[in-house]
Amino acid sequence: MTPETVDSKNILPCKLAVIGAGMAGIAAAVFAANRNIPTVQVGRVSEIGFSSGCLDLFATLPHPEVRSEYSQGEHTCSGSTQAFDHPFEGIEHLVKAYPSHPYARLTRQEIETGFDEFMQFMAGAGIEYHCGTDTNPRIITPAGTLKSTWCVPSFMQEGSRAIEEKKRILIVDIKGLKGFGALQIAQNLKKILPGVQGKTITFPGRETSGDLHCEHLGRDLENPGLFDRFAQTLMPHVKDVDVVGLPAILGIYRFDAARHKLEQVIGKKVFEIPTLAPSVTGMRIKEASLSRLPQLGVTGFSSLVKQIDMDSDGDFMFNVTRGLETVTVKAKYLLIATGRFMGRGLVVEDGIIREQLMGLPVYQPRNRSQWFHRDFFHAQGHPINRAGVETDACFRPLDIRGKVFHPRLFTAGSLIAHQDWKREKSGAGVSIASAIKAVATIAEQG
Amino acid sequence: MNTHVLIIGAGTTGTGIARDLSLRGIQCVLVDKGDINAGASGANHGLLHSGARYVFKDGEAAVECRDESRLLKHLAPQCIEDTGGLFVAVEMDDDNYIADFPGMCDKYHIPCKMISTREARELEPCLAPDLKAAFAVEDAVVDPFMLSLDNAADAQLHGTTIMRNTAVTGFRKENGQITSATVLNTRTGETQEIEALQYVNATGAWADTVSAMAGVNIPMIYSKGSLLVTQDRINQQVINRLRRASDADILVPGGTVSIIGTTSVEIDSLDEIRPTPEEVDSIIKEGAVMVPELEKTRYIRAYAGVRPLVSTQNGQGRSITRNYTLKDHLKDGLENFISITGGKLTTYRLMAEKASDIIARRLKNYEPCLTAERELPASKKGEWTEPAKSARLWMNKKDPKGTLICECEMVSEQMVNHIVDSLKSEGARPTLREVGNRSRIGKGPCQGTFCSFRLASYLYGTEELVDTEGLEQVREFVNERWKGFMPLVRDKELMRVELQESFLCGLFGLEKEIHDT
Repeated sequence: MTPETVDSKNILPCKLAVIGAGMAGIAAAVFAANRNIPTVQVGRVSEIGFSSGCLDLFATLPHPEVRSEYSQGEHTCSGSTQAFDHPFEGIEHLVKAYPSHPYARLTRQEIETGFDEFMQFMAGAGIEYHCGTDTNPRIITPAGTLKSTWCVPSFMQEGSRAIEEKKRILIVDIKGLKGFGALQIAQNLKKILPGVQGKTITFPGRETSGDLHCEHLGRDLENPGLFDRFAQTLMPHVKDVDVVGLPAILGIYRFDAARHKLEQVIGKKVFEIPTLAPSVTGMRIKEASLSRLPQLGVTGFSSLVKQIDMDSDGDFMFNVTRGLETVTVKAKYLLIATGRFMGRGLVVEDGIIREQLMGLPVYQPRNRSQWFHRDFFHAQGHPINRAGVETDACFRPLDIRGKVFHPRLFTAGSLIAHQDWKREKSGAGVSIASAIKAVATIAEQG
Repeated sequence: MNTHVLIIGAGTTGTGIARDLSLRGIQCVLVDKGDINAGASGANHGLLHSGARYVFKDGEAAVECRDESRLLKHLAPQCIEDTGGLFVAVEMDDDNYIADFPGMCDKYHIPCKMISTREARELEPCLAPDLKAAFAVEDAVVDPFMLSLDNAADAQLHGTTIMRNTAVTGFRKENGQITSATVLNTRTGETQEIEALQYVNATGAWADTVSAMAGVNIPMIYSKGSLLVTQDRINQQVINRLRRASDADILVPGGTVSIIGTTSVEIDSLDEIRPTPEEVDSIIKEGAVMVPELEKTRYIRAYAGVRPLVSTQNGQGRSITRNYTLKDHLKDGLENFISITGGKLTTYRLMAEKASDIIARRLKNYEPCLTAERELPASKKGEWTEPAKSARLWMNKKDPKGTLICECEMVSEQMVNHIVDSLKSEGARPTLREVGNRSRIGKGPCQGTFCSFRLASYLYGTEELVDTEGLEQVREFVNERWKGFMPLVRDKELMRVELQESFLCGLFGLEKEIHDT
């Protein structure tokens, strides 16, 4: 349902304004549209462009140690991690270890509903996801490790299957495309997947050029002649393998068609492997979702929000720009999904971590010297990672006394305290699940 | 293995002694448990003192600095950027101290010229607006790596054998003599005996650790000093705060960066020498009084070294003399063992000369010391470093042609190939750490997030790496960068750390056992 149109004073009234264009912001806008809530979504850039394209739920528990929150002066104790094949079973352990974790406020059904609705939306946007039934599927990373995730996009699906079925996989890299090494992947995987081999090929027309980028190669492959030459280059190497894994070079938009066509020509199944930034797989998610949202009736602004005010009706008011025009959004409900430091949802002033937009209290280590472990890879995860905004059970931020900050203010995603998505492999899950809980609450409140 | 002299410790003093003795025709073996300048010689300001800094506290040291800095400017110009220096005082600084300063310099014949504060700010626009006094002195900047590498190379040319990654683990003694030293190759685990006529302990902060193996105690105080490297060069000359020596009162330019420091923190153990976030905050706060933009500027690395101070009386930290300690150990009942520690980078040559004089005399060699007359030849090895830039050997060359492994610092595949070849010719394996030590990979703004991984991919591609060792090396590489970056993470740096962790942990899962999926 589309919000009312802008009136003469350039005021755009809506029921819900979502600030943020990352996974949580997009999910919140989708869930609101599904519930016929007139919604404005605002956000300029987000880290979703760095995403692997998979949707994580939960895979790894960083053990919290015997600890009093942040009180240890020296973070030298060694921690341990525990991997879980069954994410929902793992979440039970997680919330026992971290009772304030956002997942502790959610039922399995709520989380599953969120994923269902989000996958349905992504399918409508052109990206089909395959969800684990009970166990986490795994994908091959460009490092040559296996990553456990929850929903695998179509373009990685065959890789996941090949891992489980221990098929003969050929990983192909391209001369001049740095940061993606077929031999690196094969060497690292050979102990657990002996059927993996690596091969370097040259890209037609770019045999001698220095720096290649996945995005450019994707555009090259839209040229049927180059596509054919590329397929022919692959042909001699695929004879004795079952599946072929490529870096994500099949374009930002028509990747499914390109893959199917390639599979036909070479006669083998093909999958893609996410690459480091800039990540084509992340751009696919971003492009697909942001172009789909307006079709559901969500009004989007690619704009930066600097300040939120309240008007005399008690509604949230803020300015956004569209071209040269400034529009004032007037929203009954506000959901902030501004992310952490990369999204500037969290900033530091005078050594104190602050929430940028509303000045919400931020749960955090006592001082800067306790933000990090000396070991970057310390299994416990850095204390700063669990800093964030504390909320009530339906993800309304709390004020300094622990009371709801404002009855119509919600949050979702990585801004929330007590989660460590990078270590838990819970990024998409925390975003999607907190968003659906918040939006469902808004829908109920009317 | 047999030699005339075994020198332990390949810092500026140890390499200086090796050159000095070998120029007198004495055969030496120089060992270090790590690499050249791995200790305080590689973790300092890179400041060549005119002597002005010491006129109040230690006249003797001031005079030594005056003479030695002049000599080095003349004999080793390739290692020195003759920037000149300023001493400046701000509003809050002690007027009596300022008033006495030119007279004290004069007393020791150290050139010092009062200049107007306006002139000082014209020379160095970064200086604080509330300047109340300024003096020009003859300070300069020295690259300690190039200095030690050049000394080492010239020593090698004159017959010295240099063994890196070679730790002394014990001494054999007989009748008041050391008969041999047991050394361990820390890479291969092999041990061997080195028999020498004389043994020199030039291990800096580790002087007591080594002498203790020979049954001799040297009472040491370990004073850790931390320094910060800025992303851009802020000043042209060395800038000293004109006050009693305190934290963060020297800003030294070098190459494309500036270095602000130091602190003075007494530590009990040499196991973990790293800067802390508290030190970083205090350096920035103090430094900004003199140069305000230190508050806002970007920093690329923090590092720390330990001043090897020998406790003579009851002094602590900065009040202990910065002059060197040379012990002949005769009183300790050892006839062929000396220890030399403490001192300053600026006076390294003099220290080496004094130590070498004792050793030469004991060996009945009466050749004169040549290092005060003969130029220090510029070796090819020194080309890998950049003036006073940081605690590693950096290849300064940028080569934007070809596929770039490191985009921040423009290090190409070709350059990596060159380094890999040179490592292999030295018999070393081209690991990420070794390639990193010989190039600028990982030293730019991404701090190894992308380039360490790209380098690993590339080395797997050329079959230099196998199994999971490349990922182990990425972890090690990232942690080495983290050591110098973590204390600097204050605000915007958090974005970079978040991005780095989302790749290395979120996507790759490198915090886990590599195949624990």
